[in-house]
Amino acid sequence: MMERWRWQYWPLKTKLLLLTLSISTLGILLVCTSLVVVENQNYQEQLESELHVIADILAEQSAAALLFEDDQQLNTIISSLRQIGTIEQVCVYNVSGQVMSALNESGNARACPNLAVPPEVGFVGDFYRLLKPVTLDGDTVGQFYLISRLEVLREHIQAFIVVTFSIGIGIQVVLAWVALRLQRLVSEPVFELSDAAERIARDHDYSIRVPVYGKDELGRLGSAFNEMIGTIQQQNLKILQSRDDLERTVADRTSELSLANRELEAFSFSVSHDLRQPLRAIEGFGQALEEDCGDQLNETGRDYLHRIRAATVRMGGLIDGLLVLSRVSRQAMEVKQLDLSAMLEEIVEELKETTDPLPTDVSIQPGIRVVGDGRMIRVAFQNLLENAWKYTSKNDHRRIDVMACEAPDSITVAIQDNGVGFDMKYVDKLFVAFNRLHTPAQFVGTGLGLATVDRVVRRHFGEIYAESSVDNGACFFVKFPSSMQK
Amino acid sequence: MKFLIALLLCALVGASNASVRSEYEVKAAFLYNFTRFITWTEPQADGSDLEICVLGQDPFGDLLEQLDGRVSQGRTLGLAYPASLSDSENCQILFVGSAKSRDLPAITDYATKHQMLTISEIPGFVEGGGVIGYVKEGNVIRFEINLKAAQSAGLHVNSRLLELAVRVIR
Repeated sequence: MMERWRWQYWPLKTKLLLLTLSISTLGILLVCTSLVVVENQNYQEQLESELHVIADILAEQSAAALLFEDDQQLNTIISSLRQIGTIEQVCVYNVSGQVMSALNESGNARACPNLAVPPEVGFVGDFYRLLKPVTLDGDTVGQFYLISRLEVLREHIQAFIVVTFSIGIGIQVVLAWVALRLQRLVSEPVFELSDAAERIARDHDYSIRVPVYGKDELGRLGSAFNEMIGTIQQQNLKILQSRDDLERTVADRTSELSLANRELEAFSFSVSHDLRQPLRAIEGFGQALEEDCGDQLNETGRDYLHRIRAATVRMGGLIDGLLVLSRVSRQAMEVKQLDLSAMLEEIVEELKETTDPLPTDVSIQPGIRVVGDGRMIRVAFQNLLENAWKYTSKNDHRRIDVMACEAPDSITVAIQDNGVGFDMKYVDKLFVAFNRLHTPAQFVGTGLGLATVDRVVRRHFGEIYAESSVDNGACFFVKFPSSMQK
Repeated sequence: MKFLIALLLCALVGASNASVRSEYEVKAAFLYNFTRFITWTEPQADGSDLEICVLGQDPFGDLLEQLDGRVSQGRTLGLAYPASLSDSENCQILFVGSAKSRDLPAITDYATKHQMLTISEIPGFVEGGGVIGYVKEGNVIRFEINLKAAQSAGLHVNSRLLELAVRVIR
C-alpha cells in the first residue's frame, strides 16, 4: 500500500508541478532570505549612523560642561536622550576616566564600565554600544559612552520578515496557479498519448488517434504514434483479411474433402455390398454344381471347381474386410471406459477354440483399462491378435505377451509374438490397405487388417507402430493419448 | 614589577590630586578653559600669543605657571605680572586681584579699550563692568559673565560657555 506513495507511482502532472514549485520555492526562499539579510545590514548601518550622529552632537554639546565640570549641565544635555526610547545607558567621562554624568533608562542601575579596560563596542548581544571621545580643538576632554537596545531593529526585522515571506507566499500561490495551468502544456499530450496507448492495448481498437499539439518533441511523438498506429491498423486489416481468406479456403477444402470422403465411403460400401450378390450366386451355384454334377466331372474339372469356390471364399473375406474398414471409418463413436484385459482374454479364448491345436502360451497383463468405442477397439485388437496367431502358426510353440505401459500423457499397449516377423524395410507399407508382406501361399490374408487397426487407432487420436526383425517375432505398439482417456 | 608599583603609585597620587583639588587649582583650570571658548574679534596677528596678566596680588601661587606655553585655539599662552595697569597694554587676559577692587571702573574701562578679557574673584565684579567673575556656590566654583562688557570689549563668547554660567548679564 505504501508503494503507491513512492514517487515512481506519481503521475507526470504531479512530478512537473513538484519540480516547478520546488524550484520556485527555493528561489523565493533565497530571495526572501537575502532581502532580510540585506535589510538587517542596512538597518543596522542606519541605526549605527543615527546613534553616531546623536553621540557626535551630544559629545560636542557636552565638551564645555565637561571642561567646567558642570554636572548639572551634563545631566541636562544627556537627559535629552530620554526622548529616544531605545537608549539604555549613557555615561560621560572626564579626561581622566571618571564618570561625570550617567543616565540609566531601564530601572536596573547598571554601573558605567571602567574605561581602564576598553569596553566592547558595536553590536554585542541585544545592545549596540559606542564609545566616542569628546574633543575640543583636537584635544580629548572626555569620553561619551552610549548603549542602545536593539528592540527596534528586532521588531523592524521581524515585521520585515513577516511582510517579505507573506509576499513570497503570495507569489508562490500565483506561481503554483500558473504552473498548474502551464504544466498541462506538457502533461496533457503525454497523458493523452499514454491513455490512447492503454486503450489500444486493451480494446485492440486501432482506429484511435491522439490529437497533435504543436511542432515540438511532444507533437512529433504524437504524429509518430499516429503513424505507427495507422501502419498497425493497415497491417492488422491485411492479416485479418488473409485469415478470413484462409479460413474460407480451409472450409471450402474441408467440405470438398468430406464430400469426396462420403462419396468414397458410400462407393466402397455399395461396391462391397453389391459385389456380394454375384459372389453369393457364384458360390451357391458352384456348390450346387459340385453336389449335383460332381460325379460327371473328371478330376481336373473338380479341381477347377474347387479353386473357383476357394476364390469366392477369399473374395468374400476381402469384401468383409472392406466393409469393416469402411464401417470403422464412418461409424459414430461411442466412447466409454473399457477393460481391455478382459476383452483380450475373450478374443484369445475364441481363437484357441477355432484354430490349430499348437501349444500356446498367452499372457495378458491384467487390469489394462482404456477409453474408446468398444466395438472398434475390439475389431482392432481382434485383428492384432489374429495376426499374432497367424504368423506364429508355423512355430513349434506359440508365445504371445500383452503388456501396457502408462505414461502421464498416454497409455501404450504392446503385443509381442514369437512369429516370423518382418523386414523393417517395409514397415511403411505395413498399415496401407491391400499391402501384404507375405504371399497368400505363405499366410492367407486380405491386406486390410492392419489398415483397419490403423484407422481405429487414429480415430482414437492414438498412434500405432511396429518393431520386428525377420524370424524373431514382432511387437506392435498401440498408443492412446490420455486426453482420450478422460 | 618595580615599574608596575611605580605606575600604581603614580595613579594613586593622580587620583588623590584629582579628588581634592584646591580652589585655585580649579580656578586656574577654568582660566585656561575660558580662553578656549572666547575669541578676540581682532587678533593682532594669527598665531600671536595670548598674554595672561595677573594684576595685583597673585592668589594662584605657582599654579598659573602650568598654563605658560600651553596652546588654546592655536595661540600660545604667555604669562605676565605687570606692576600697574598702564604696563598691561599687551595683555589679552587680565586677572584682577582682590586688592584692586577699588580701582575697578578704571581697570574695566582700560580693559574694554584694549580688548582685554577681565577675570576676577572680586564679588560683584561683573556688575562693575568685568567680563567673567568667579563665584562660589558652597564648595563648587562657578562663574558669571557680563556679556555686554564682553561685547563692548570686542570679545566673542561661545554660547556653550554662556550656558554654563551661573548668571549672564546681557
